[in-house]
Amino acid sequence: VAIATWPRRRTAGEHAATLLMASPLVAVVAALVVYPLGHLLKESLAGEHGLTLASYVALLATPRYRRAFVTSLWLSLLVSAASTALCLGPAWLLARHRLRFERVVRAVLSLPMSFAGMVVGFLLVVLLGRSGFLPQVLERLTGAPWLSGTSYQLAGVLLAYLYFEIPRATLTLEASLRRLDPRLERAASSLGASRAQAFLWVVFPAIRPALLATFAVTFAVSIGSFGVLLVLSPRHLTVLPLEIFTRFVAPPTDRAAAAAMSFVLLALALLAGVLVRRLSRAAEPSGA
Amino acid sequence: VRSASRLLLLAATGLLMAFVLAPLVVAVLGSFLDVRRIGLSTDLWAGGGALVDFSAFAYLAAHYLDWLEFSLVLATASVLISLVAAVPGAWVLARGSFPGSTILEDLVLLPLSLPGIAMSMALLSAWGELRGPWLVLGGHVVYTIPFMVRVVLSSLRSEDFERLEQAAASLGAGFFQRLRWVVLPGLRHAITVGALLVFAVSFGEFNVSFLLNRGHPQTFPAVLYDTYTNQSIQVSSAATTIFLAVVIPVSLVVQGLGGAKALDGGQAA
Repeated sequence: VAIATWPRRRTAGEHAATLLMASPLVAVVAALVVYPLGHLLKESLAGEHGLTLASYVALLATPRYRRAFVTSLWLSLLVSAASTALCLGPAWLLARHRLRFERVVRAVLSLPMSFAGMVVGFLLVVLLGRSGFLPQVLERLTGAPWLSGTSYQLAGVLLAYLYFEIPRATLTLEASLRRLDPRLERAASSLGASRAQAFLWVVFPAIRPALLATFAVTFAVSIGSFGVLLVLSPRHLTVLPLEIFTRFVAPPTDRAAAAAMSFVLLALALLAGVLVRRLSRAAEPSGA
Repeated sequence: VRSASRLLLLAATGLLMAFVLAPLVVAVLGSFLDVRRIGLSTDLWAGGGALVDFSAFAYLAAHYLDWLEFSLVLATASVLISLVAAVPGAWVLARGSFPGSTILEDLVLLPLSLPGIAMSMALLSAWGELRGPWLVLGGHVVYTIPFMVRVVLSSLRSEDFERLEQAAASLGAGFFQRLRWVVLPGLRHAITVGALLVFAVSFGEFNVSFLLNRGHPQTFPAVLYDTYTNQSIQVSSAATTIFLAVVIPVSLVVQGLGGAKALDGGQAA
C-alpha cells in the first residue's frame, strides 16, 4: 500500500480554508503590532523637513534622559546578576535533588510571575514601608524601627525587582539544569575532583550558556519594568520607562522624545531577546 | 559534605520562599484582621479594634464592583478573540508552509519581549483617537495572543500530534474531517491551558490598561493603583487580596496542567 506523501498537495478549497484560518491572526498582527511600531518609528524620526534623527540626538544631549538611560542600564544589570546568582541554588535543588515538597516550592517561587509590577511595589511597601511589617516587628523587639521606609530607597527598589525576577530566573535555570547530564559530575568526582573542583571545572562551563540566557531574560524584564517605580517613586532614581511616561503625560510633553526613548527601550529588550535565543540554542545539547 | 550542601541549598530556597510569601501573608491578613495581632501598629493601617473586621471589603463591595466587572469582561473578550485568531492561526503556522510563516510567527510572539510602556506608546501613536476601553482591549489582545499561540503551537509541533494527523490522512480523512475530528479534540488540553493563561494575563495586566485608557471604566489593576495612592493600607490590602484571589488560583491551575513554563516570558512587570 502506498502511503500518501505528507504533507500532500492541497486542493484549492483547502488553500482557501487555510488562508481564512490565518486571516484573523494576520489582521491582529498587522493592525496591533506592525502598524503601531512603524507609526512610532515614523513619529520618532519626524522632523519639519522629512526624516531626521533630531529627537535621538536630543536624547543624547539632554542630561536628564542620559541619566535615565544609564540608571536603567545599571539597575537592570545589577538585578539580573543578583537574581541569576540567587536563584541558582533553588533551581539546582528543584532540578537535581529529590524533594518531598517539590511542587510546593516551585508553586511558591512561581507566584510573582503573574503579579503586575505595581502590585509588587505595594507588597514591598507592606513589608518594608514606613509602617511596614518588618520595621514594626523590629521596633517591638529592639525599640527602634529599623529598616523603616527601606521600600522607598534603592535597596527596596532592588528587592522589588528581585521579587518579580525570582520565578523568571528560577524556571529558566531549572529547565536548563535538567538537561545537564549528572554523569558528568560523577565522572569528574570518580577521577578525583572535589565537589568544588567538579562544579568549577565541569558544571560551571556546561551551564554558562544557561546562566547567560537567564541573565538576558531577567535583564529584558527589568529594563522595561514600569509599575514598581510608579508605586515606590524613590527620589533621585529615574529610569527610561518612567521618563517615557513623564514625557508623555506631564507638561511640557514631548511626544518625539517619548517615541525615541520607547525605541531605545525596544532595541535594548530585543537585543536581550536575541541573546536569549542564541544562548538557549547553545545550551540545547546539554553540554555533554 | 553532600548533606551539608543540600542543607545550604534548602536554606537559600527557604529564604527566597519566605521573601515571596511574607508580604502576601501580611497583606491578606492585614486586610481583615486587627493588625496589632500580627505585630503591627495601627497608625497607617487604620482599622477598628475588633479582631476580625471586614469593613475594608465592605467598602470595596460598595465601590469597586464595576471595575472588577470591567476587568472580567475584558479578560473574557481577550479569551474569545484568542480562540478566534490564535487557535486557527497557530495551526496554519504549524502545518502551512507558506512564504513568510516564520516571520508571522516571530511577529506574533514579538510582544512577549517588548516592554509594555513602549508597546503602549506605539499603540497610542497609531490609534491615539481610539484611546479608551476599545484600545485597552487592543492592548490586551497584543499581550495575550502570544500565550495562546505558544501553547497551541507547542502541542501541534509534538511528534505524536503530527503522526496522528498523518495517520488520519492515510486512512482517508479529508482536510476538514481531520480538523474537526483530529486536530480540535487533540488540542482541547492546550486550548484550556491557553485560555486560562490569557484570562490571567488580561486580568492582571496593568501597564497597557493604565496608559491606553481614558476616563471610565477603569480596569481593576488601574483602580488598584489609584487605591495605593489614595487609600489606607488596609483598603489597599483588601483590594490586593481580591486581585490575588483571582490571579493565584488561575496560575496554580495552569501549573497543575503542566504549563508552568508557559507562564514565562511575560513583560508583566
